[in-house]
Amino acid sequence: MIDINPKNILIRYNILVESDMTPEEVAEQLYPTDPHILQVAKAVFEGDEDEVVAALQNTIDSGVDPLSLINDALMAGMEVVSTLYDYGLLYLPDVIISAQAMIEGIEYCKEQSKQTHESKGKIISYVVEGDIHDIGKKIVTVLLRANGYEVIDLGKDVPVEEVVAAVKKEKPIMLSGTALMTTTMHAFKDVNSRLLASDINVPVVCGGGAVTQDFVSDYDLGVYCEEAADVPKIADSILQGLDIRKLRDTFHKH
Amino acid sequence: MSVKRYSSMEYDNFEDLLFGHSKYPVKTGLGLEIGAGYTTAEINYAPRPDAAKNKATLVNEYERITRDIMERMVQVGFPSVVLETEHVQQMTNNPTWGGEVATAQKAIMEKYHDEYGIKCALRHTVGDIRGDRESIDLRGDAYSRILESFEQVASSGADMLSIESLGGKEVFDHAILRNDMRGVVFSVGILGALDVEYIWQDICSIAKKNNVVAAGDTACAQANTAMFVAGGLLDFKLSHSVASVVRAISASRSLAAYEAGAIGPGKDCGYENNIIKAITGYPISQEGKGSTCAHSDLMGNMAMQCCDLWSNESVEYRGDFGGTTVQCWGENLSYDCSMMNTALEAGVGKTLRDVLMVSDRYRDPQAFILSYDNAYRIGEVITAHPDDLYLRAKEAGMKACELIESGSAGFLELSKFEKATIKKAQNDLKSLDENMESFIDNCLDIYSSEVDTFNPSNYGL
Repeated sequence: MIDINPKNILIRYNILVESDMTPEEVAEQLYPTDPHILQVAKAVFEGDEDEVVAALQNTIDSGVDPLSLINDALMAGMEVVSTLYDYGLLYLPDVIISAQAMIEGIEYCKEQSKQTHESKGKIISYVVEGDIHDIGKKIVTVLLRANGYEVIDLGKDVPVEEVVAAVKKEKPIMLSGTALMTTTMHAFKDVNSRLLASDINVPVVCGGGAVTQDFVSDYDLGVYCEEAADVPKIADSILQGLDIRKLRDTFHKH
Repeated sequence: MSVKRYSSMEYDNFEDLLFGHSKYPVKTGLGLEIGAGYTTAEINYAPRPDAAKNKATLVNEYERITRDIMERMVQVGFPSVVLETEHVQQMTNNPTWGGEVATAQKAIMEKYHDEYGIKCALRHTVGDIRGDRESIDLRGDAYSRILESFEQVASSGADMLSIESLGGKEVFDHAILRNDMRGVVFSVGILGALDVEYIWQDICSIAKKNNVVAAGDTACAQANTAMFVAGGLLDFKLSHSVASVVRAISASRSLAAYEAGAIGPGKDCGYENNIIKAITGYPISQEGKGSTCAHSDLMGNMAMQCCDLWSNESVEYRGDFGGTTVQCWGENLSYDCSMMNTALEAGVGKTLRDVLMVSDRYRDPQAFILSYDNAYRIGEVITAHPDDLYLRAKEAGMKACELIESGSAGFLELSKFEKATIKKAQNDLKSLDENMESFIDNCLDIYSSEVDTFNPSNYGL
């Protein structure tokens, strides 16, 4: 069997660019300083649901308003996780596990408060009609919730009619749709046409499998998204006032 | 049909594994023999979306595709070709549609075979339509429709039958996003294998009745999901080492089809097929650099090392500068086969195999464990536990961890993260239950509550 040293044949760039610091070391530099809030943020980073609730309880017992902890502590912890993910120091399962812990924390804070919590905005998430491949939608949904958005998850194989009806009812700031197959992704165009016919100009963020930027650029409301982690960033950009043209300028990479 | 577990390797030595050669070649279609000393391109395609409007437009689309491929093959002088039609859901949901497509395709292939003598065969891969919006029903009405679809295509011109089965996917999707090795072993090694075993007994009966080939399955919905989520070298979504462990475990799942009577060639996207070939001696289809029309690949050359059919995964049918896409990609694949066949004729097949293998061996942990020598070693641990689906899956995962760790002492460079994740996977696997019974009991408790679409009765549990 032939074997050779591959150094002149391939380069493992992931090793070349690897940070000398561990994720935990980088996180230490990013955590909030308040000791109570630090405990909550660390528990989110660790993805420990029980520890998140315990840290929240301690903080609430010290007189802090539960709802304020959603943004000040839970979101702050998740921000550290998101930053490390963007740096390539954490991987998707780490983000998912932290996000689940944070979502538990949000529910706990809501239970402890007499007031209602306003999310950053409402987003409809779905998999197109004829398609049952939903791992991409699951990832997007968790990431959006972890970033403070209320997600109306319509599930998989969702008929166009149902998507349009949900938009009319919920009035979301955007839709997030995924499709694996070229044969099903044309349902995005039908949603686009039906929304425009009703004078609804909500961005339809599309990604997954065979979906391409060229395809999505072909209908008025379409915004192509290649990376699940970009979806919360697109939502943030919508809140900052970017319209579909500007969203395409920012997030269309090809 | 009965299930016969593999308790030993059909190949005595990994050095005997080679492209174009399999221990048990498969005669099929019009003059074709797969794994009998030469490789053949397997061209796979998807119709344009509008073509699936109705049966007439769909049949017409597949006629165009088939004619385009056959015409290009004879224009450039290639001696053999396989066409793979992966059903769009309309074709499986309406079994007569699939049957009529197969009839139309085969008529064109026969015309070219009669006129030019080109050896050719038609594979139909029926869609796994057993999931809907609310649930997965693996053994209900949709399953009956799948079997009816197999009957229709088998009696209408398809030479080889395949499916990309979904069994275990609901738990796998949940587990892989949480780095949960228990869930991976359960979903792929137990649930997946039980489902594969169940459906392939029926598919093999249909194949036998219609005198066609029960070809094989793939763990696409599991191992390829992990591999694609893991992505390229600079994608930090999922550990490539963990995706490699999933791949090793998936071989135990795909093997169940052969234990139920399938004889190959296994599906192109089953990268675990290197392990399957070493265990069963049956021919395999593979995809790599010729499938970049569908996805990027970290083992584009290596995937050719033991292939008998060489595939492009799938390409949407449309025009390109050099012809239609099926013509361009088919020609590309066929030139690769021409190179491999020349090497075989010249007696340097094993040298080319090694060049292809070693060019990717250290590109990624998954390429490393699927290099033919390591693939063979994983096969050995699977066959060491023939009657225990749990142990063979777990040991396959453990073997992958061990191979990656030992490889990292040599030329296989691992990042700190990959080293940590492989160590964690190893520890997680080690800490699992001692025996299958308690493992399944524990998993039923855990995943029945954690995964709302998981229904044990789908697996006879």
